Amino acid sequence: MGNAEGKDRGILLELCGLQKEFDGFVAVEGLDLTIVEGEFICFLGPSGCGKTTTLRMIAGLETPTSGEIYLRGRKINDLIPQQRGVGLVFQNYALFWHMTVYDNLAFGLRIRGVSREEMDKYVKDVAERFELESLLNIKARRLDLSAMQRVAVARTLLTDPYLLLFDEPLNNIRPGLREILRAELKRLQKELNRTMIYVTHDQEEAMTLGDRILVMNAGKVEQLDTPRQIYLHPRTLFVADFIGRPSMNFMETEYEMKGEKISFKWNGFSFNIEKKDLDVEEKHLKGKKLIVGIRPEHILLADEAEKGGISAEPLSAMVDLIQPLGAKKIIDLKSGDHMVKMVSSSEYSFKRGDRISVIFDPRRIHLFDPKDGRVIL
Amino acid sequence: MRERSSGRVSAQVALPKRRRWLRWGAHWLIVLVVLLFFAMPVVWLLSVSFKPPQEWQAFPPTVIPRGPTLNNYLLLVNPELPKGSASYMLRVTEPVTKSFINSLIIVPIATLISAMVGFLAAYGVSRYRVGGDFMPFFVLTTRMFPPVAFAVPLLVYYQNLRLIDTRLGMIIIYAGFTVAFSLWMMKGFIDAVPRSVEEAAILDGASRWRVLFTITLPLVKGGLAATALFVFILNWTEFLYALIFTSTRSITVPVQLSHYVGAVGRFYGPQAALGVIASIPAVIFGYLIQRHLVTGFSFGLIRK
Repeated sequence: MGNAEGKDRGILLELCGLQKEFDGFVAVEGLDLTIVEGEFICFLGPSGCGKTTTLRMIAGLETPTSGEIYLRGRKINDLIPQQRGVGLVFQNYALFWHMTVYDNLAFGLRIRGVSREEMDKYVKDVAERFELESLLNIKARRLDLSAMQRVAVARTLLTDPYLLLFDEPLNNIRPGLREILRAELKRLQKELNRTMIYVTHDQEEAMTLGDRILVMNAGKVEQLDTPRQIYLHPRTLFVADFIGRPSMNFMETEYEMKGEKISFKWNGFSFNIEKKDLDVEEKHLKGKKLIVGIRPEHILLADEAEKGGISAEPLSAMVDLIQPLGAKKIIDLKSGDHMVKMVSSSEYSFKRGDRISVIFDPRRIHLFDPKDGRVIL
Repeated sequence: MRERSSGRVSAQVALPKRRRWLRWGAHWLIVLVVLLFFAMPVVWLLSVSFKPPQEWQAFPPTVIPRGPTLNNYLLLVNPELPKGSASYMLRVTEPVTKSFINSLIIVPIATLISAMVGFLAAYGVSRYRVGGDFMPFFVLTTRMFPPVAFAVPLLVYYQNLRLIDTRLGMIIIYAGFTVAFSLWMMKGFIDAVPRSVEEAAILDGASRWRVLFTITLPLVKGGLAATALFVFILNWTEFLYALIFTSTRSITVPVQLSHYVGAVGRFYGPQAALGVIASIPAVIFGYLIQRHLVTGFSFGLIRK
């Protein structure tokens, strides 16, 4: 179906209606995805959302229940893993512990029957690029994590895949080292300029690494977009909640049109937003209730907002808890019975119990339909 | 001051000299007790094997024989030899060489078959869930009956197949009855090998068989060695089936050992001598695979 046109547009991978069921449980449901050559895509979602299953289907380690997989315009559903031209770096790196680094790297080449001299040259080349020359004769089980990652990636690259897959490679690694390895990976991707799919449940990893992010939940695609778009314009409640730390504030509100303003009533108090700021057509607003979402970093102090030329009706709230984070602090605001989190710069000093005046940045408000969780604005 | 409070070494220095000595003493005392407990039977066996008949049951017993002799050992090889001594009223006319050769053929072959079949079966069970939950459990039921329960039906089969008193017959019995152990022991080791390691090899282009022999087998070889040693000892010391299914041509060492108990009494000397010799192959086998055993038991260290 998509093969002929695929080649012209530089499309590398195409998934059409990919579905996987395990004993009646739907792990991946009707997944469509097109990946262009050279792209770095992150599959992001909580554990059990089907991201790893999708990856394994692309690699050929799992057979789809239905749907097609095209790589460079060729249907690869029925090809065995080694014929697909796909490399996979596993979560635990899956090195061959009983072999030396050299043998780990040469494993695939040996199977392919590459001559001794050629194999030696390839292995030495890749070892140099990944700074593994001095480790070539060491058993893989003796390596440190950084070296393990490099061997795992190098080994996969030696099979010369069109597409490189990563299955949560930084999952079991302590935080400090994780950032270092993540940076190493990103640099590598830029240098190699290969198409990569990277599976993770860590939103920070996905945001920093991916050109585009595919957010998955319960086997379905929630959103496929650039990190910036996903952050600024989440398409569903799930995405809005999953991306960003601390998470977005949600308020179930009743709304009312008052001339040029929309008035939201929430838990005993109300706030008004000018219609022009919201840029939403009335016909999209169905029913009486709406879920309003606002990120903690988009709740501004009224004075500060005014200086920035943002005008909206201020709300009064009480400071309930302050969590300093150095450059900024997370403040829990209490308004009625409800709590709202805001992030503010550290330069402002409040105490617990202070009443402050804040505004919800009207350009950054998200409206969701409470029925299906889809975004209205 | 500062140095004293930091580090383990200085903490030990801080301990009073007398207490350190006590700790050292207690440590070695425990080692000694444990060692004596396990070494005693071996020492006794060695001691008796060099004793003349009148010392076998002497009271008080001696650890070092008063009149050491090699007669017990010589008698094993040539039953005619010490005829002069009235105490050796032995009916055994066969030298032990035959039973030794039988055991050395039957046991290693049966062990090899059991370990290899067990390994392959365990791989199927672990990776492909062959036989579901039932089969692996069913295999184990062969160890739940008293062994005698199998003896009668097997005897009938063996009679018809003319396998009684043959080495082949014994190899089949030994391999068959220990394969359940091999399967379950190997399953544990194979389960500990992450699947992703095999999948990585498959993505590199390896076939299933190649993965099995170049990736999985080397990774579980310590476990395989442990399994083989266990099965070897089990088979080497097996008595009941050997007694029932062999009579003259293919008797094994444990059966031969029982021949030194006669109507006129027990011949502790030759029995002990045979016991000493019989333990040698097991010790050698254990020594040879010792290096692999250590990796076998520490296999859990591999990151999953």
